Amino acid sequence: MARVNWLRRHVRPEQLRELSLLALIVVAVMFFGSMIEGYYSFRTFNRIASSVAIIGVVAVGQTLVVLTRNIDLSVGSIAGFTAFFVGTLIANHNGVNPLLAVAISIAIGGALGVVNGVLVAWGRVPAVVVTLGTLAIYRGVLVDLSGAKTVTTDSLPQWLVDLPRLNIAPVGDLDVRPLFVVAVVIVILFQFGMGYLSFARRFYAIGSNPEAAQLIGLPLKRVVFIAFVVSGALAGLAGFMTLARFGNITVEAGRGLELNVVAAVVVGGVNIFGGSGRVTGAMLGAIMIGTLEQSLFRLGVSEFWRDALLGLLILLAVASDAVILKRLNRIWARTELKRIDSLAERAP
Amino acid sequence: MNSLRRWETLLFVLLLAVVSLNATESRYYLGVGNFINLFQLSIEKSIVALMMAFVIIGAEIDLSVASVMGLAACVMAYTFQQGAPLPLAILLALAAGVLAGLNNAFWIAYVGLPSLAVTLAGLIGYRGLARILVEDRAIGGFPLWFNALGQQGLIGPLTLSIMIFVILFVFFAVLLHASAFGRLVYVVGSNVEAARYSGVRVARVKTALFAGSACVSALAGVLYAARLGSVRGDMAEGFELDVITTVLLGGVSIFGGKGNMVGVGLSLLLILNLRNGMGLADITGNTQNYVIGGLLILSVLVPNIYQDIQNKWKGRER
Amino acid sequence: MTAAAELDSPILDIRGVAKRFDATQALDDVSLALLPGEIHALLGENGAGKSTLIKIITGVHQPDRGQMWLNGVRVSIASAADAQRMGVAAIYQEPLLFPDLNVAENIFICHRDRGAVVDWSTIFRDAEAILAKLGVALDVRSPARGLTLAAQQSVEIAKAISMDVRVLIMDEPTASLSAHEAEELFRLVRDLKRQGVAILFVSHRLEEVFALADKITVFRDGRLISTHPRAETTPSRAIADMVGRQIDLSRRRATSARLEPLLSVTDLGRRGVFEGVTFDLRRGEVLGFAGLIGAGRTDVGLALFGIEPATSGTIRLRGEAIKVRSPQEGMRLGIAYVSEDRRQLGLVLPMSIFANVTLPALRRYRNRCGLMRTSLERRTAETFRTRLAIRTPSVDLAVAKLSGGNQQKVMLSKWLNTNPSILILDEPTRGVDIGSKAEVHAIIAELAAEGIGVIVISSDLPEVLALSDRVLVMREGRQMAILDGDDADPETVMNAAMGQTSAKPLGWPA
Repeated sequence: MARVNWLRRHVRPEQLRELSLLALIVVAVMFFGSMIEGYYSFRTFNRIASSVAIIGVVAVGQTLVVLTRNIDLSVGSIAGFTAFFVGTLIANHNGVNPLLAVAISIAIGGALGVVNGVLVAWGRVPAVVVTLGTLAIYRGVLVDLSGAKTVTTDSLPQWLVDLPRLNIAPVGDLDVRPLFVVAVVIVILFQFGMGYLSFARRFYAIGSNPEAAQLIGLPLKRVVFIAFVVSGALAGLAGFMTLARFGNITVEAGRGLELNVVAAVVVGGVNIFGGSGRVTGAMLGAIMIGTLEQSLFRLGVSEFWRDALLGLLILLAVASDAVILKRLNRIWARTELKRIDSLAERAP
Repeated sequence: MNSLRRWETLLFVLLLAVVSLNATESRYYLGVGNFINLFQLSIEKSIVALMMAFVIIGAEIDLSVASVMGLAACVMAYTFQQGAPLPLAILLALAAGVLAGLNNAFWIAYVGLPSLAVTLAGLIGYRGLARILVEDRAIGGFPLWFNALGQQGLIGPLTLSIMIFVILFVFFAVLLHASAFGRLVYVVGSNVEAARYSGVRVARVKTALFAGSACVSALAGVLYAARLGSVRGDMAEGFELDVITTVLLGGVSIFGGKGNMVGVGLSLLLILNLRNGMGLADITGNTQNYVIGGLLILSVLVPNIYQDIQNKWKGRER
Repeated sequence: MTAAAELDSPILDIRGVAKRFDATQALDDVSLALLPGEIHALLGENGAGKSTLIKIITGVHQPDRGQMWLNGVRVSIASAADAQRMGVAAIYQEPLLFPDLNVAENIFICHRDRGAVVDWSTIFRDAEAILAKLGVALDVRSPARGLTLAAQQSVEIAKAISMDVRVLIMDEPTASLSAHEAEELFRLVRDLKRQGVAILFVSHRLEEVFALADKITVFRDGRLISTHPRAETTPSRAIADMVGRQIDLSRRRATSARLEPLLSVTDLGRRGVFEGVTFDLRRGEVLGFAGLIGAGRTDVGLALFGIEPATSGTIRLRGEAIKVRSPQEGMRLGIAYVSEDRRQLGLVLPMSIFANVTLPALRRYRNRCGLMRTSLERRTAETFRTRLAIRTPSVDLAVAKLSGGNQQKVMLSKWLNTNPSILILDEPTRGVDIGSKAEVHAIIAELAAEGIGVIVISSDLPEVLALSDRVLVMREGRQMAILDGDDADPETVMNAAMGQTSAKPLGWPA
């Protein structure tokens, strides 16, 4: 009982969900490790890490949006737009400062996010409607402006092409690649921000009970607006990362990204109805999906099977989430009863 | 009630405007032949939209409709290729649709998971299943009668698809507005807990919604294959967006409990004529997409701004 | 300034305030003064203007005319945030908490001055300190979602006192609390009064008002009818002011119970929720269910109706053993359950009156093709409109537009339409004005006289005692007693409901 009470004091049910997700990932890795030759290698790790990095970065932004009871389906179009735009820019001006290029990506994404934010927060148009619309609009404008050209690797400067393979800080034999580092840094930054900044706590409040938030005087519109701007900005960054990773960018870049991102967020335990869930959860969700995808690929499973299995996985994740959380809450409630019981006996 | 009548009137006025504009562009515009062609181009999406209206009024969403279309078509193509007679293959395709719908319904109505997540999984999963069957190939070679059904007129200039659409439209309109089931859909969409406490079998209603949605999608998939004459693993990809856009533009609220068939019908015609008009003006399909996207946003934005202005006026009067 | 002089000058002085909504004059030239350390009660039927006044004081609405003076300074309260900054706090019937945030965050959510970075250990400590001041023990780290209503209410109070409140407004705060929990609340309110806070208290429960208030103001139709110190007025005088006529609610109804048992429940239980419930319900009898909130009365009702079926025990209907596994089965057996939450569970607010009335019995309104017989629906609704005196211009109106009392009557109509032999009413007059309350009581008496077995679950003790032939008392999921006739007096019922004499902390979960 004492141990449960300690557990109760330091771990909340929502955190337990993340721990179980982590456990599931470990189990999956061990399972695949037993079936695939040479699975436990840094090469595998880097492969998974590169795709997870891009999805993870966007998932962080999506988490903020979903927390406020909204959704951003336009992130794929934003990423594609940014990748293409910045790619073309760099291709035409090879001497562009790398940091400037990154800043421009974030700015473009943020600007596109501003449109979403304004329409949802002040136009009072439901997020589903807005982002379905901007998904089509941004993609459409991209195709029109681009003239259906392609950004090719040869036109890009060497630093950009080499970027994904750069070795930032070798830890023993492990090469830590930039894209992954960027994702991890962003996740850590946002996790701390959401956990410790007063302003960030408002996201949770607004998603938890919008009417009460309004009555109390919380700046609903501003918070929702910022959520969409951040989501857009991170999608823009992801666009740059996509450019770096693939080099060849067509107008189809980023199509379907929103599906993977929403899947990661859902699997990661962020409540689709808002108010609860953590950025680290979304990242774990991205890792789970990325691990499964890559491992199935290594297993030689055709890409077609992968999609079917991915669908099944998401279903199972959401289902187990509901069941596990319900059980956990019941156990927690029972121990709460006992604890307050003892408190009452001590009180006068 | 009044606001919805206003919405349909607005749609109707817009429709008239677009049709008139188009008619001045082309002499043949108002002809029956052109109208049939127009309709044919998006007939399958339109059929799915009719059922999607029910789902959204019921405060749910089905993102998997396009994937079920593809899956059904691929099941048909695959079994046909394996030697099954085409009628049997079509039946199997419809059966696949029913199974997909029941699968969705199980997780949503009986396990209680959010429909966004379940049908998102379905969107990915069913498409994957479709691709497993057909892989990278394009399967064609269907008997002539099949292609004829899809492409040529059955009664006069009306194709089978158009006839099915008209029948379904009437049927669904009656079902939604005059039947007990329609009443239950509105109730469940407005307040599902109150429905439960009033003895409504909510799980059954939701099962009907998702099974129906998948069935109709499967039918649409078969009709689509007939019109195209061939089946690919990625056919109908992205259709769900158009379908949802059509329904929302028709005045159906994304939150459930509000909307009607007339609005959806007008929205269908409006989008059809818009696309056709843009095509006549040499606007690419791509641009058309995002014009429709903008229209979707405006369809909610403009009434909101209108209401704001009205409220300000009222305030000033006092 | 001497204490006497302080007591004389109002903290909040409202002068000549008026507010109009479309065609209704919600408030007409209302002037009210709230003095520090004074509990000022506001009485009035639904629609009398009480909540409009409160919304104006808390900044949700702005008055069309009139002024408000706070501590001698003219103010205009433009928003909820404004009101908070000026030290005006409100506690409503339904707590406005954030279910996903923890208790400590909920308490301090309005504080802007705690810095950009959240200091969790300090917040937890401060929250526990404030709750301790209220004599409440809660886990401040747990999300507000899991708390009982009473616990949530204490968090709301903690919120208010954490902000140095000068004017506290309480809008029917005890409507969801039992007598014992309300007593705790009043202790806190009296504490605040001693600290010099001005308190405006709205309630439909006259005993509370007369126990707590220093001054009593009555509203009717948007106008302030009277303001008296408590000693200079009586309950019947207050009711007369509210309604314009005399009503006596405490008269016991004549019993109409026959001898044959209609329902026989033996050792009914639902694992983890309640157990050992045993009673007989006779035809024409009104059986009252009394007890503290969370005692399990609603759960028994839900079990009898089939929404949350029992896991043990037997139910016999007219001698035959039955199992009620779903609401459909319950309805088929002639059992009806009228929920305590009419807005979320009892009615579909956006839909018309007739659509709501026919919903449980939809099958009867279908023709052979499955199409709805709308004219028949309207006729049914009209019949009930007359029978229950529902005030509405038409049965096509959305129920959302009706007042609380009329909504309650629509709910009753809906279930009476299923021709039940057993009617379970859960809090049938919660949030209903005095006039409609009397009408509902009369209807219940009529139904019993017609032979229906009625179970009334109510936290309003006088109501339970006035309506019931016998009273079943529950405590913490167990049946404590069934009291008959003269044994059913307030003290005996409360003793049974509480079970022990020592006071429990308010954080006690259900």
